[in-house]
Amino acid sequence: MLLELLQLADSALPVGAAAHSFGLETLAEEGTLQPENLEQFLRDYLSEAGVLETTFVRRAWRREDPKQLREEFEARRPARESREAAFKMGHRFADLFNALSGASIPLDLHYPIAFGAAGAVVGIPEESMALAYLQQSVTSLVSVCQRLMPIGQVAANRIIWNLKPTIQDAVACSERLEVACFTPLPELGSMRHSTLETRLFIS
Amino acid sequence: MNADEPFHKPDWNARLGLRFEAQGSRTRMSVDTQEPPWKVLRAFEQSNGGALVHLHNVSGGILSGDRLSLRLHVGSGAVAQVTTTGATRLYRHRELSSDSEQDLSITVAEGGLLEYLPDALIPFRGSRHSQRTVVNLADGATFFWWETVAPGRQAMGESFAFDRLQIQTEVRSHLRPVVLENFVLQPDVSSLRSASRMGEYSHTATFYAVQVGRPAAELRQLESLLAEQAHAVSHPGVTIWGASALAADGVVVRGLSATARELSATLARFWNTARQFLTGESPIPPRKLK
Repeated sequence: MLLELLQLADSALPVGAAAHSFGLETLAEEGTLQPENLEQFLRDYLSEAGVLETTFVRRAWRREDPKQLREEFEARRPARESREAAFKMGHRFADLFNALSGASIPLDLHYPIAFGAAGAVVGIPEESMALAYLQQSVTSLVSVCQRLMPIGQVAANRIIWNLKPTIQDAVACSERLEVACFTPLPELGSMRHSTLETRLFIS
Repeated sequence: MNADEPFHKPDWNARLGLRFEAQGSRTRMSVDTQEPPWKVLRAFEQSNGGALVHLHNVSGGILSGDRLSLRLHVGSGAVAQVTTTGATRLYRHRELSSDSEQDLSITVAEGGLLEYLPDALIPFRGSRHSQRTVVNLADGATFFWWETVAPGRQAMGESFAFDRLQIQTEVRSHLRPVVLENFVLQPDVSSLRSASRMGEYSHTATFYAVQVGRPAAELRQLESLLAEQAHAVSHPGVTIWGASALAADGVVVRGLSATARELSATLARFWNTARQFLTGESPIPPRKLK
């Protein structure tokens, strides 16, 4: 299972993660997000949005009704760009996973739901899927930020390394499946992203 | 909980239930239940035949241990506008007392329209409060709602001095959830000054415009109109606004501001745009906004 998990959670998996900033591009453009506060930003983001998304990984792994999960995820994601980004990534992930494994998980799932569903099919433990999901999310977001602001390779990897206890805490919190999330600035970053004069990312 | 369900008295220590029904071209309000500190004097007829009601809390705010319940039912084809007589003050938590709670349940029947436009929520130093709003919308129902939250009594130097504020929101159409939110704000536990939360801003504002069954393509048009408007009134570092189509049936406008100034007036402009787009009519603002 370990090798399958490493491949599914590889940030280089071609699901389009590199094309989406989930509102961070706006925050970086306006100076709200800077190299100095990036680690703290991600720590707080993980404790809110990270926990929320991980509950969906877990519920999909437990084979809850995909349609219900999809509708609930969408209702908890008011910013359209971020919502659509998660859907596109989920579609590409499910399509790739089905092609690799011969499984047939639904294609119309958002990324954390598709990720959890794939883990259940392969038989990877729920906890491992939840940890891996947040690890690859953080890696992708840090990579996005490296293209938006001056952060070197060592500094970027130090941030990812330092966040491992936060990832473990977020995964532990998600076990209760209670969803609370308050991230208005990234949300507004996503809503306002289309008004930026130049954009590197789709979302 | 559904607004049509009877109250279970032991559950809430103060209840208000209002019902709006269409009678010809007019809307009539009836009071199902009214217990202090809730107070509603009467409904005023608006020029469109709708009923305007001011909610009044005679205790001046929500006290520690208060459990307030409000139920609004808008019948088929009825038009109602509900506002408050002033900001909702959340008083300091008292030892051995439970957290204050407010439970709001709204139903809008087919073709009904509700505008719920309360004044700001102001959590005082040491307050602990939970607010839950559940909205159920039938096919063709229209719903406008805004909400603003201040950081405290700024004139007294209070900013994020409350203990805990939870705001839960569920808006559902007859087919699916449209909005699900659960904010738990505990400034001493998780800094609201974080760049992943409110950063340099102190006030939050949210406006929802929902019309069940409205095609997604039209809601994208409304999103564009509101986003353009939001961009024009945004000044990063002072106030930022953004707009987005919801997953179905509506749009949301969100704002963060370092000041309360202009928040109500700006929300009214978004309301005007959305009201005209979704109903073809301009809104009739409560007198305090004119």
